[in-house]
Formats: sequence, structure tokens, C-alpha cells
Amino acid sequence: MKNSHLVSRKKNLSRASALALAAAIMLVPANLLPVLYTQNAGKIRTDTIFSGIVGLCQEGWWVLGVIVFIASILIPLLKLLGLAWLLIVAQRGPDGRARPLTRLYVVLNIIGRWSMLDVFLVTFLSGVVQFGLFAKAEPRIGIAAFAAAVVLTVMATEAFDPHVLWEHPAGASSPSSAK
Amino acid sequence: MKATDNPKVTRAPSLPLVWVVPLLALAIGSWMILREYLNHGPEITIEFANAAGVVAGKTVLEYKGVTVGEVQNVELDKDLKVVEVRVRLNKDAAALAREGAEFWIVHPEIGLSGVSGLETLVTGAYLAIQPGLGPPASEFKGKEQAPPPLNKELGRAFLLQSNKLGSLTTGAPVEFREMKVGEVEASQLSDDSTRVLIRIRVYTPYVDLVRTNTQFWNVGGLSLKLGLLGAQINTPSIESLFQGGIAFATPDGDLAPPALDNTQFILNNEAPGDALKWQPKIPVHTPENAPPPPIHSGQIPFVH
Repeated sequence: MKNSHLVSRKKNLSRASALALAAAIMLVPANLLPVLYTQNAGKIRTDTIFSGIVGLCQEGWWVLGVIVFIASILIPLLKLLGLAWLLIVAQRGPDGRARPLTRLYVVLNIIGRWSMLDVFLVTFLSGVVQFGLFAKAEPRIGIAAFAAAVVLTVMATEAFDPHVLWEHPAGASSPSSAK
Repeated sequence: MKATDNPKVTRAPSLPLVWVVPLLALAIGSWMILREYLNHGPEITIEFANAAGVVAGKTVLEYKGVTVGEVQNVELDKDLKVVEVRVRLNKDAAALAREGAEFWIVHPEIGLSGVSGLETLVTGAYLAIQPGLGPPASEFKGKEQAPPPLNKELGRAFLLQSNKLGSLTTGAPVEFREMKVGEVEASQLSDDSTRVLIRIRVYTPYVDLVRTNTQFWNVGGLSLKLGLLGAQINTPSIESLFQGGIAFATPDGDLAPPALDNTQFILNNEAPGDALKWQPKIPVHTPENAPPPPIHSGQIPFVH
């Protein structure tokens, strides 16, 4: 009983860590590579996430720029960092901060889905803005990396079981570890 | 029970299968980045006096009919005199950007000597390049027109001196027995402005028709002769009627050696009296068995 529980705990952490690592790796091409190609009255742009935000701000769309910055850069980064923290703490075992950490987990779970805003934006633009010669928007490979990073982060968060925050890794020493 | 007496003990694998996922992510991620940066060739800037029809992101650079780059940006120079066109070359075409390369914009052109660039009516204009031979470069000046083909395989160039240009235009036919065997490539005034220099090119299979003693004359336009016994109208081919044209013939007698590239001739205003009766036998080489063109180290006298 205990053994199977231990194995599942170990598996659980390992699974979440692997997915989080994969998400972190995918964030690199997601931020380096262009995500969107737009052509508007002869003006052509190939934007990465960051250059897109800079472009939005330069053209006076401050609010939009800030929203995209939060959704596309800040949230994925904070979420991965938060998850990494949770995983490291869980590896060590409970240290009396189980409650705030669980709260952090819940918050991470809620905000993560908003990262898909960028993917949605690109998909939406590519689908709607197709006026041939005059205006055109096409997705670029970076958005696939970004989507993969977001999905992997969500999967990692799902794979992480907050119960491990409350349990002792050895299992045997504490009676409270029984489920 | 036997099964419980000897339970099969397995250890959870130290590296569960899920760790394949980050490895996969690493592989895919690096492939994406590599692909992006390996495909990028150099960026070059070309100055045009007029960039009509050139659209950023749409206009491509073609060489031998193959797309080798894409226009990234079109903008006016700071002093509003020229248009700067920025082109990103494909990786495999980077070697085209060398000093001496010539760029021009291909528009549809309909003339009496034919229709060219017709596909650009639909696709829009495109840039064309004739690669240079110098060291790699990134800034070029565009040409107004397509430069004449420098390709030696296309025949031999000759220089004609005339006292007037007449109705000769670039592309006007050079005819032998009223058959087109070449064309006018360029014309300009001589240095002392006493004559007009016309460069013609005779196509490969016919190059040997031009001997060192060949006579050239202008056939442009109609000629009308009124006499007591009636009128005589001489018309050249329809093409040369409008564009002007040049004809040549070689006198009978001992065959002079073939004229070399860039040999100079006098362009007569009229055919020598008995030119149509001249019938020296000159073998014509088909492109397949043509002798190798004579190697000449001198530069082409003038470039249009």
C-alpha cells in the first residue's frame, strides 16, 4: 500500500517535472522565432512575440501591448517559475508552508489558460485578415512552439498533485501521510 | 499461493517514459531554430530611380526564372531622390550578390519585336539579377532596363559606325537575306560625337556569316524611287519597317576570315548596289557543333 503510494508520488513529481522542463525548452523557440507575418498595404512585418509588443506600443496601442506582454511573456514565465518552485519544495517534503503553496498552485492553474490568448490572436488574425493583395496575416512557426509551451505547462500543472505538498516523502514517519 | 510466495519484484524505471517529452521538445525546438537561421541568406540593398510595381513582401528576385530572394522593404532615400529596395536573398543564392551584379525590374513589355514579361501582368513586376564577378557586396544600383545579355554563348557582338542612328532602336533586327539573325543591343555617340556607335549581336548559329569584309547597311523605313518607267518601293521586313533594321552581306570572291567579337564596321545608309547578288558559300554552324567562341580578353567597349 505504502510502496505503491510512494511510487505514484515519485511518478507524479517526475511526470510534472518532465513536462515543465519540456515547456521551458519550447519557450525558447517560441520567443526567438517569428509568430506572425502580416502584410498591410505593402507594409510587411514578421513579428516575434516581443517585436509584436514593441510594435503595438509604438503605434500607440499601449493597453493592447501591455495585455499581450502579460499574457504572452509574463504569465508563461511566472507560471513555469512557480511550478518549478512547487516541484523543488515537493521534492524536499512539507515544510509547514503547504497551505500558501497550495494556494499558489490554484492560482497557477487558473491563470495558465490565459496564455493561450496569443495563439488565439494569431489564429484569429490569420483566419479573418485575408484580403489578398491588401492585407494578409499568416502564422509563423514560433506560434506552434508557443502553443506547445503553453499546453505543456498546463499539462505539467495538471500532472502535479498538490497532495504531495502535504505529505512526507518517506511516508512511514508521519501518520498524517495516510490518505 | 505460489504467486504470492514468489512475487515478481519490479523496480520503477529510474527514468520514466515521460522524460522522453523534454528530449523531444529539445529536438523539435532546436530544429525549429536551426531551420530558421539556416534559411536566412544575406540582405542586400538596391537603389532604383523608380520602383514602380515593387511591393515589399510580394515582389521576388528571380534569377534564371527561379526565385532567389524576397523584397523586405521599399522606401525612399532620405533626400527623396532614389528608392531603396531591401531584398533578403535565399541562403543558396547568396553567391549572386557580388560586385558588378546588375538588377532591373521586369515589367510587361509589348513591342513589335515581341512580348516580354507577360507573366508580370498577373504576378506583378519582379526583380531580375545578372550576377557579378567581383567580391561579395551588399549595396547595388538598379538599372532602368534589362542589361544586354553578356552571355558569350548568345553569339558575337560587332560595332557599327554610322553617321546617324536613323530609326534603329534597341532590339531592332539584324537581317541576313531578310532573315533575322541578330539584334541591335545598344547605341551611343562616339567620344568625339562625330559618329553613332551601334552594338549589334549576331546569334550563335549565324556568327560565321559576318566576315572581315562584310558590308552592313541600314534597312529601316521605306524607300521609294520614282522613275520614267514607274515607281519602285522597297520595303524591308515588317519588323524592321517600324523598328529600323540592319542588313549585311558578304562580297563574293575569296572568303575572308570570320570577324571576331567587337570588330568594327561601317554602317552604310544604303545597300551596296549588287549586294543581293552576292552569294558566297558560308557554312552555318548549328549551336551543337559550333566552334568554341574565340577567347577575347578585352572588355566590351561600352555598356548600355
